[in-house]
Amino acid sequence: MPDLFRYIPYFLPAAWMTLVITSFGILIGLLIGFPISLARLSKNKAAELAAKAYIGFIRGTPLLLQLFFIYFGLVRLIRLDPLPSAALALGIHNGAYIAEIFRGAIQSVDKGQIEAGRALGMSKAQTLRRIILPQAFRRALPPLGNQFIIALKDSSLASTISIRELVLTSRQLASSNYMMMEMLMLAAVFYLIMTGALSFIVHRIEYKMSVGERAV
Amino acid sequence: MNEKKLAEPIVRLEKVHKHFGKLHVLKGIDFSVQEKEVVVIIGASGSGKSTLLRCINYLEVAEQGKVFLEGKHVHPTKGDINHVRREIGMVFQNFNLFPHMTVLGNVIEAPIRVRGMKKEEATILAKDLIAKVGLSDKLDVYPRMLSGGQKQRVAIARALAMSPKVMLFDEPTSALDPELVGEVIAVMKELADEGMTMIVVTHEMWFAKEAADRVIYMDEGLIVEEGKPEEIFTNPREERTKAFLKQILKD
Ligand SMILES: Nc1ncnc2c1ncn2[C@@H]1O[C@H](COP(=O)(O)OP(=O)(O)O)[C@@H](O)[C@H]1O
Ligand SMILES: [Mg+2]
Repeated sequence: MPDLFRYIPYFLPAAWMTLVITSFGILIGLLIGFPISLARLSKNKAAELAAKAYIGFIRGTPLLLQLFFIYFGLVRLIRLDPLPSAALALGIHNGAYIAEIFRGAIQSVDKGQIEAGRALGMSKAQTLRRIILPQAFRRALPPLGNQFIIALKDSSLASTISIRELVLTSRQLASSNYMMMEMLMLAAVFYLIMTGALSFIVHRIEYKMSVGERAV
Repeated sequence: MNEKKLAEPIVRLEKVHKHFGKLHVLKGIDFSVQEKEVVVIIGASGSGKSTLLRCINYLEVAEQGKVFLEGKHVHPTKGDINHVRREIGMVFQNFNLFPHMTVLGNVIEAPIRVRGMKKEEATILAKDLIAKVGLSDKLDVYPRMLSGGQKQRVAIARALAMSPKVMLFDEPTSALDPELVGEVIAVMKELADEGMTMIVVTHEMWFAKEAADRVIYMDEGLIVEEGKPEEIFTNPREERTKAFLKQILKD
């Protein structure tokens, strides 16, 4: 058992890779998801339809397929390295889910809030920015945290395009030391540490942002 | 009273119709309110009282007829309705305070964003108004921590912070526990005494008798009868008004 520790240095860069893919995936996902959620709620039929099509396509097909689509499929159009391919695939994939999370959160804000803002003479944009979104973001946090954890675990699919993140690293180590079970367990420990840290951070933010909604 | 009649009404509705789908909710409303006048609107649930109020500040758009503010008609889609709305305060049945802002934050929001007031200036104004509704000790408290009556008083201060030309109240006390009604009505009475122009949907008879210059009875999307409170309450002309008053005075 103690000599398992000597494998940890091999896992550290792998964990870092997992973290990098996940972070970029989430970042891209947020950048895509937020405007898509607004498009989805827009009165503009074309924008709504485009958002619906995107969300439907992404949610209706596997992430692995989407990843292959970007890494292998787009080759004739643009040649992307494995890392950007993985980050992009994870981002585009999460964008759809994050869009739905934002949409739900925005729609959950009481209509009376919009009316109160508009009745005071605030414009639509002001009402959205000052009244609706701050309340919606707060409500989106728990499901967002959930989605981030899913993204972290989904980043393991990057192993299929030869990115040496946690899963691929554990398999490669096992192929030389014949300790498959142990290597996979080590990978699991790293995942647990990272998902644990992620949910802790999300909870902290949730708590910080809950002013006014929690009894002092 | 005579010279008031000559002046341009603050609010005037001309043959206003409103449908929700097939439902004909307002069936030709002619209605005007003079400066400093306090008008109470009564009528059964579903008779169109809220819709009438909401047409005044364009939360609903009347598809026929016109709404005038100080004699000016604003086109609901082509005109600048935000400009109209800032002159009209509204108090909702469910308060609709902004839960993510403190009491002070709620009150300074519109003066800063809409009137472009400096924060310091808005804060001075807001503190004054919050004191006026008796909540100076709650400045930094979030709405969740307030009772219904306190929430509604904040909502009144929030509307007043825009220095509106007219205040609309849509059943401001009907979501309140009975023991909290008085504090809100007292604030409204004070406003009325100060000469605020008010249009109030309420069944609080005390307020109607004490504060109203005119009471309007609505039924099925029409103004059935209007008059001074003592006329309407003691000597209604219409059968429908009599029946309605009998009903609410029983409760
Ligand atoms: N947004 C809406 N969509 C559809 N129907 C509505 C809407 N608002 C009000 N109504 C209907 O219009 C009628 C009048 O409503 P309202 O003006 O709220 O009456 P009151 O305030 O006198 O109770 C009711 O039958 C109500 O159900
Ligand atoms: Mg109503």
